[in-house]
Amino acid sequence: MTPHDYVRVGIVSSAQTLLKDAWDDLQHVDLISEAVSEALRGTGLGMSDVDFIINSGSDVLDGRSISNCGFLGAMGAHHKEESRVEEDGLWSLSYAHDKIASGSARVGVVIAYSKPSESSLTAYYSALVEPFYQRPVGLDHASAHGLQAAQYLAVHGVDEKELSVVAARAWERAAANSSVDTPQVPGLDEIATSPSVATPLRALHLSRPRDGAVAVVVASEQVARRSTSNPVWISGYGSSIDSQVLGEREPGSFPAAKAAAQRAYARAGVSDPRTFGIAEVSAGSAAAELMVVEALGLAEPGQGASAYDGAASTVLNPSGGALPADVVMATGLIRLHEAAGQLAGRLDRGAGSASSALVHGAGGLAHQNHCVFTLEV
Amino acid sequence: MTTGLNTPPGVSQKLAATIGLPYTLTTGKAVGSTITALASKRLTGSYCSDCQRTNVPAQDYCVGCGGEMSLIEAADTGTITAATTTPEHTLLLVQIDGASSPLLHRLVGPAEGAVPGVRVRAVWADETKALFLDLEGFEVADSEAAASSPVDTTVDDAMKEMPYRLDLDYQHSYGPYYGRLFDELAHHRRLVGSPCPQCHQVMVPPRERCDVCFARTTRLVEVQDTGTLQAFSIVHLEFVGQTRTPPYVYAEVVLDGSSTRLIHVLGGFEIEKARDLTIGMPVRAVWKDASQAQGTLADIEYFEPVV
Repeated sequence: MTPHDYVRVGIVSSAQTLLKDAWDDLQHVDLISEAVSEALRGTGLGMSDVDFIINSGSDVLDGRSISNCGFLGAMGAHHKEESRVEEDGLWSLSYAHDKIASGSARVGVVIAYSKPSESSLTAYYSALVEPFYQRPVGLDHASAHGLQAAQYLAVHGVDEKELSVVAARAWERAAANSSVDTPQVPGLDEIATSPSVATPLRALHLSRPRDGAVAVVVASEQVARRSTSNPVWISGYGSSIDSQVLGEREPGSFPAAKAAAQRAYARAGVSDPRTFGIAEVSAGSAAAELMVVEALGLAEPGQGASAYDGAASTVLNPSGGALPADVVMATGLIRLHEAAGQLAGRLDRGAGSASSALVHGAGGLAHQNHCVFTLEV
Repeated sequence: MTTGLNTPPGVSQKLAATIGLPYTLTTGKAVGSTITALASKRLTGSYCSDCQRTNVPAQDYCVGCGGEMSLIEAADTGTITAATTTPEHTLLLVQIDGASSPLLHRLVGPAEGAVPGVRVRAVWADETKALFLDLEGFEVADSEAAASSPVDTTVDDAMKEMPYRLDLDYQHSYGPYYGRLFDELAHHRRLVGSPCPQCHQVMVPPRERCDVCFARTTRLVEVQDTGTLQAFSIVHLEFVGQTRTPPYVYAEVVLDGSSTRLIHVLGGFEIEKARDLTIGMPVRAVWKDASQAQGTLADIEYFEPVV
C-alpha cells in the first residue's frame, strides 16, 4: 500500500468535561459518558455507527486493574472492538488514525480521562520510576522536573524568572477558557513567591492536576464530510521515547520531542513549523514547556520564551495549555480537542482564524515520551 | 419510585480503598551485583567495549547498542552535574569519575554549595539493608580523591530477588447513580436499578447510559431482593482482597425486576450442601441487622436458596 492509498482521516467532533480540581460527585463513568455523548451530538452519528473505541487511562490512578473493562458501557463499547492504551490519549488517537487510514474501520471514538483527585499522584509517578536505583532515592514527579529545570536554566543561561513568566501567561489564558475551572488566577508575583517544591521550581511552576474526560470522534474522509461541514484533517503524527533513566537523557532539551515532531512534519510536508497557526502543547512544568516549544522548532534552543511573544507567527497555547489543567493521561488529547475545535470554529480562544495546528502530548516521568500531531482544514 | 437523583445529606459520598501489591522483584545480574557490593562499600559499574560506554550504577545491557555489558568496579568520587532541593532532600546527578552519564542520588549534608561542578564522594550507610540506599548518598568532598581505574569485578553471592511492596490509597467517588443505590440501601433497605428506555433492560447498579445500546436512562425503579441464581462457584482458594474465608460460594444473581447479574455470595447452608445448588433456582437476600447497615451491597449478608 502506498501513502496514496491511505484513507484521509478527519476529526468530526470532540468534547470535554469541565476540568476541575475534584469531581467529587461524579465517577469516571459519569465523566466519560458526558464527554462521549457531547462529542457525538450533532454529528448524525450514533453509537451504532461507531466501529471501534480506543481509550487512555491509568489503572494505577483509577485504582482497579484493566479499568477500561468496567467503563465499557459509558464508552459505548458494547460488542465493539475496544482497546486500551496506558499512555496519553494522543497515542490512542495515533492508533485510531491508523485503523481508519488503512481502511480497516470508518468511524472511531477516542477517549481519555482521569480523576487524579481520587488517588495520590505522588504514588502514581513513583510507580513509574525504576524500582532498584531510582525509586529508593526518592525520585518523583517534582524532583525529576526540578532536575530537568535546573539543567535547562544552566545549559542555556536562562533566568529563573522566565519560568514564572511562562506560568503566569498560561494561567491568564486559562482564566479566559471556560473549559477550565479556575476560581483563582495567580499573578506573576504569586507564582514567583509560591513555595519551593524542587529548586528551581516553585509550586506554581508545576502543572496543576485536574479531573476530567475528553472524547474525539474520528472518521474516514467520506464519513467526515457527511457528518460535519467543518472537518479537521490529520495531516501527520509522530511519537518518540527517551531513556527512562534521567541521567541518560540530554540535559536542557527534549530530543525525543524533536524526533516526534520531525516525523509528524515529514508526513505533513511541513518544512517550517512556524507556519502553524496554533500550537497546543503539554508540559509538567514551566521549564518543560519551554523545552517542548524549542524541540518542536517554534523557538531556538534556550529561546523558548520568544514563542510567547505577540509577534510570533504561531499562537502558542491559546487555551492556557497544560500548566493550569493537567488531566494526567488526557492532557495531550485535550490539547488536540482545543486545537481541532479552534480550527473548526467550534471553540474561540482568541487566537483568530487559523488553518493549521500543531499538537503535543507527553507521557512517562518528566516527559520520557512525546507525541505530536499536525492538523489542517 | 421517585425519579430524582438528589442524594439525602449525611451519607458518605466516597469509598476509601487501599490496594496493597506485594512483589518479589528479580534484580538480574547487574543490579543484584551492584546492590550486594554496596555492603562492602564498593560501587559497581558496567562497561560496553563496543561503545566504550561506562554506566554507573551497572546495567546489564548498553543503552547505546543493546549489547551485554561487563561489570567493573567504579570510582566512588565524582562531580555534580545537576541538583534539586525539595522539602525532604536534595537530589543530585553525579558524574562518577570514568562514567559516561550521571548517576542519580541524594546529597548528604547541607544543600548550600552543592552546585554543578562541585566534587563529591560516596557516603556509605552505617547499616546495610540490601537496597541502593546502602550507598547513603554523596557528600561534598573537601579534597580531591583519585579516580580508581576500572577493573573486572565479580560478586559471588549477588542478590537475585528483592521484596517490594506498593500500597496505593484511593477515595472513590460514588457519583449520583451508585450514590443513590447506596442511599436506598442505607435508609430503606431496598435496591434500585435504571431501566433502558430503548432496550428495556433494567441495570443494577443504576447508570446513566445503557451498557448495550448507549441510550440515556431517565429514571430509577425499585427491584426486588429476590432473584434467580444465574451462576455460582465454590471458592476454595485464598487470594488478596478476599472478604470471606474459603470455602464459600460466589454467586451471580439476577434480581427480580432487573436484567443484570449482581455479584454476591450464597449462604445459609453447610458448605457440603453447595452441591445441591442449581442454576436457575430462586434465591433471596438475607440482610444484616439494621444496626450494622453501612449503605453498601455488603448490607446483604448473603443470598440464600428459597426452598
